Amino acid sequence: MDYLVVFLVLVVFLQTRVTDLKRAVICLASQSVIIAIACFVLGFSHGNDIHAVMPGVLTLIVKVIFIPGAIYRLVKKLKNEREIVSASNVNYSTMAAALFLVMGYALVERLMPGAVGRDIVASSILMIMTGLSLMVLRKRAIIQICGLITLENGIYLLGLLMTEGLPLVVELGVFLDVLIAVVVLVILTSRMRLSFMTTDTSVMKKLKG
Amino acid sequence: MNFDIRELIYIILALPLIFSAVAAVNFLGRNVLHWLNRLVATGVGAAIVMLLMTFDSDIPFAGQYIYLDALSMWMLIIIGSLYFAFAWTSKAYLDRDTNKRYGYLRRFGYLEGRFYALSHIFVWIMLLVVLVNNLGLMWVTIEATTLVSALLVAFKFTRTSLEATWKYVMVCTVGICLALLGTIIVYYMQLYTFGSENALNWLYLAEHSKALDPAMAKFALCFLFVGYGTKIGLAPMHAWLPDAYSEAPALTSGLLSGSLCSCAVYVLIRNIIILMPSIGIDFISGLCLFFGLFTILVAVPFVVVQRDIKRMLAYSSMENFGLMMAAFGLFVPVAAQAMLLNLFNHALVKFSLFYMAGTVIGEYGTKNMMRIHGMMVQVPRTATFLLLGIVALLGMPPFGIFFSKFFMLYGFFSSDHPWLGVVTMILLAGMLIGILYHVMRMLGGKPKRRVAGEFFGVLDSVVIAGLLVFGFIVSAGLGEITMLNHLLTNATKIVLGGVA
Repeated sequence: MDYLVVFLVLVVFLQTRVTDLKRAVICLASQSVIIAIACFVLGFSHGNDIHAVMPGVLTLIVKVIFIPGAIYRLVKKLKNEREIVSASNVNYSTMAAALFLVMGYALVERLMPGAVGRDIVASSILMIMTGLSLMVLRKRAIIQICGLITLENGIYLLGLLMTEGLPLVVELGVFLDVLIAVVVLVILTSRMRLSFMTTDTSVMKKLKG
Repeated sequence: MNFDIRELIYIILALPLIFSAVAAVNFLGRNVLHWLNRLVATGVGAAIVMLLMTFDSDIPFAGQYIYLDALSMWMLIIIGSLYFAFAWTSKAYLDRDTNKRYGYLRRFGYLEGRFYALSHIFVWIMLLVVLVNNLGLMWVTIEATTLVSALLVAFKFTRTSLEATWKYVMVCTVGICLALLGTIIVYYMQLYTFGSENALNWLYLAEHSKALDPAMAKFALCFLFVGYGTKIGLAPMHAWLPDAYSEAPALTSGLLSGSLCSCAVYVLIRNIIILMPSIGIDFISGLCLFFGLFTILVAVPFVVVQRDIKRMLAYSSMENFGLMMAAFGLFVPVAAQAMLLNLFNHALVKFSLFYMAGTVIGEYGTKNMMRIHGMMVQVPRTATFLLLGIVALLGMPPFGIFFSKFFMLYGFFSSDHPWLGVVTMILLAGMLIGILYHVMRMLGGKPKRRVAGEFFGVLDSVVIAGLLVFGFIVSAGLGEITMLNHLLTNATKIVLGGVA
């Protein structure tokens, strides 16, 4: 479990550094793989029934195969794109992630000193906050989608640790929602490519007031 | 025909789903599609009326996944009447978009099927929101409404609608994810207090909610409030709301404002009912009052300087929901009942106003209110109905909102917040001046622009007038209609924390 946390933190930091869209998607997929392994480990430590396997299998299917696959297919179509990349945003998000990691541990120390899963809680706080900062600081639509999934993964991991998994129906619903969300966002991004000739969201600032 | 409650609920949930599947396949002719749409919505409306007749609001109905009590019945009435109005005005709206100038659908005839499929599934999910018994499933359905309505907001895929939708999905999904965190914390509390039986079941939790840990409950409430508050459009989290409402097709804006926000309020109230006994009323009351009044405060200046007619209506929605949250935060029966009544009235009036705004945009080919003058001369019927709708929205008698707003304000003074009541009245006066100024400018004066024609047909007039009159009858005659009065009293009891 400790190795998993180390890898997770590593992947999240990598995610804040990546500017290439394909690599961002690969980072997202590997992050979800780690979450899936964590699901299996946590699941089997609680029991051996269907509920132990279910979250892991669903994570594998939905978040490792389907979601990165859908985004990857979209990314392959994005050629000749107008690039507005600024290095400062990347550095800001890495800095922010470092701060969030420290903050997460401080928070965990304060709230539940010496608890068993404190590393996992801290890393899920890191994921939630990093996901948010990716969505706010970065301008490319694909990176923002990755940030959203990271946020969702963080909440999911936290929930898994706290409650040993939500009720089965709710769990299925949550996965269905994430799935539909990504489908909707992929549709929107490809439309954005057609209308604006770019997937940089900073060109969309017409609606005000 | 005699159905029991379970069968009626199945009918209500089955019809829209079947129709949207049929519409999505898109092999029916356009006329058949329009009529089938009306038939389905009328069927659902009739089923809701029959449900109202058979359902005794003192005895809630609980199934494995379904729970129906007075509050959900009231919400069903709201959603059902908007669904009915949607179905009977959609042909006029789509025809206008198809045939007259600026027609978008003219080039893409097959899109009508898609519009119907998405709209009906949207309504279906909202019906699910108020019928499920589980806090987790409520979260799932609310998130699903965001996603389905996102496709509706972006329906025309213009540049501005894409921008609005992107903002809508991003902001709302983040908000709703925070609400998921809140729901997880509630489940955690339940797990460690009662065990995993009846996981997240609303009724079970509401009956046993006193045992929950207060500190943890407060923590959960913060996430839930921010999360569902984003969906309602409370002030600091409202950035998506005016964009989405102004860029969506007019009928979708009406459904978004009238029923989706009401559903979000409903889910927030359901969550608060569970957390209330352990947290205590004071904290929740402060939270609701502050965010509610802050929402009104933010909305007023934007209305006064607004140029876009649908954005103006969107800010007026914010004002109404802010007032409703504040009235809920008072925790007095008068205000809570008026809040539920306003949920209903606001839905009807706002749906008809968004429909009329769509008509005006079609007639003049612009959304900019500064470019529209002399509607009374050029398009008298639209102008009359617009005036009626605005008068109804601003809470003047004899329309329904007058009664509900009056009692909400009365609630401020009858509880111990008279100064907040005065502040609210000043803010509402600002709202009234802003909206009335813009609308009078549009209605009066000399015409400066050619119009495409009077688009307000006979059928639409009947439906819109019906909505306004229905709101009036229910609110003014509430004391006389025993069944509705009883239902609303029971719903108020539930809102204030007594499980029926």
